[in-house]
Amino acid sequence: MRWGMAIEQKRCIGCYECVLACKAEHFLPPEIFWNRVLIGERGKYPSVTKLIYSVRCNQCADPACVKVCPTGATSQREDGIVWVDEDKCVGCRYCIIACPYQMRMFYEDGDTQYFPGQELTEHEKVGRELYPHQEGIVEKCVFCKERIDSGMAAGLTPGVDREATPACVISCPTKAIHFGDLDDPNSEINRIIKEKHGHAFHPEYDTDPSIFYID
Amino acid sequence: MMRIKPYDFMMKYTPQTDWIEGHGILIAFALFFGGISGGLYLASLYFDNLVGMFVAWILAMATGMTDMAHLSKPMRFWRMVLKPNSSWISRGFILIWLFLGCAAIQLAISYWAPGTAAETVFKVFAGIAAFGVAIYSGFVVGYVGAIKLWNSAIIPILFVVAGLTGGMAILLLASQGETTRQIVDVATAMVAVLVVYAVSVAIYLWITTYESHVARDSVMLLLKGSIAPVFWIGVVLIGIVVPIAIIAPYAFTEAAQTAAFIIGAVFAIIGGVALRYVILKAGVYAPLLPAE
Repeated sequence: MRWGMAIEQKRCIGCYECVLACKAEHFLPPEIFWNRVLIGERGKYPSVTKLIYSVRCNQCADPACVKVCPTGATSQREDGIVWVDEDKCVGCRYCIIACPYQMRMFYEDGDTQYFPGQELTEHEKVGRELYPHQEGIVEKCVFCKERIDSGMAAGLTPGVDREATPACVISCPTKAIHFGDLDDPNSEINRIIKEKHGHAFHPEYDTDPSIFYID
Repeated sequence: MMRIKPYDFMMKYTPQTDWIEGHGILIAFALFFGGISGGLYLASLYFDNLVGMFVAWILAMATGMTDMAHLSKPMRFWRMVLKPNSSWISRGFILIWLFLGCAAIQLAISYWAPGTAAETVFKVFAGIAAFGVAIYSGFVVGYVGAIKLWNSAIIPILFVVAGLTGGMAILLLASQGETTRQIVDVATAMVAVLVVYAVSVAIYLWITTYESHVARDSVMLLLKGSIAPVFWIGVVLIGIVVPIAIIAPYAFTEAAQTAAFIIGAVFAIIGGVALRYVILKAGVYAPLLPAE
């Protein structure tokens, strides 16, 4: 089993809903982003192409971050998800340095809040209890592994059932993001990647990403 | 305040900041201490200088302490020995401990029971570990494929030569109480190492320009961009030209000139710090999207 995503760029409207859903799902502090939307242009007037990439950790099959981590805090599960064990990370940031996609972030200041000088919002208060983030630790997208694990334990199928699917996937208003098992030749995601010629983002980095983009 | 505006993220060359800005500057010093510690020990072995070996041991301690000071969770430092199969930081951490252990035993034997077989054995062990300490920092940096300026097979060699240069400089300082013959020998060797160091820097930059566009632009940043003053003044002038100009005339005429040797050595040491700084500072990531 290897979880992966396929993102149809022609469907993506650059609304940032995936970013916001991730922020809400994991109670991410200010300045911390586990996913982003990159918007750029290619070409010159009058033939210009607008590029919109919804990006997050590629959960690479051959991840540079796992290799360089000196403590084993960054590791890869059998389903391909690369995650950081907060209790093992020493904060050397070698994994951040090694990621060519720069999809890791260092949570430096635990006192940051969305409205400095005012009280924490109710959402922030709840977040600090439900999803505490350790200060001085490297963070990253984990494909909402909590949703996947609890969903599968309940007999649900990630990518099919909402409760077992990453927040950014189910929140996308145009259904541009697909999620599923890359190792299953009959999965919907494999069909989409094959039929629509999905390709990895910057394959020259040789890390074998689990996210595919469809032009 | 956002350090990077969300819409700017990875849209142009993005400098790495984690290992150079703020607390990250400690990494430059850790790389420097590691290099000169190993280089000094090897040079001290060659010139049989016990004071130099002891200072090398102190500097290896400084390497470990500086590395630990950079960690946000320093009390978990022991975990850094757990991944020597894949992580160069882990390998380096083990090498530092090995060197500290072997060199401590060797120093004790050399002080209290010199000339024994055990001394020779531990000199060999500590020498191998010292070489490892000198070269591992080059591999830590050189292994990072994401930063094309660093991802070079020459970096470990450059770091060893730079470490040897700094080590020779400290040995020159430590040799000031020795005979004129010994001081001149160390000074002559240091001039030779400085020349090799200068050639290594030039070869590294020259070859790197052919690696990729990103690597070439990083080299241009070093040579002509915002980091150029530190490179030309710190690395080239203070670290290479001035030490050679000051030390060489006296070394080759075999006249020990204490003030000249001390100034030359101190300049070479400062240049060594500057080298690590500029290499870390010039490391950039390629943009994920074209910005325009």
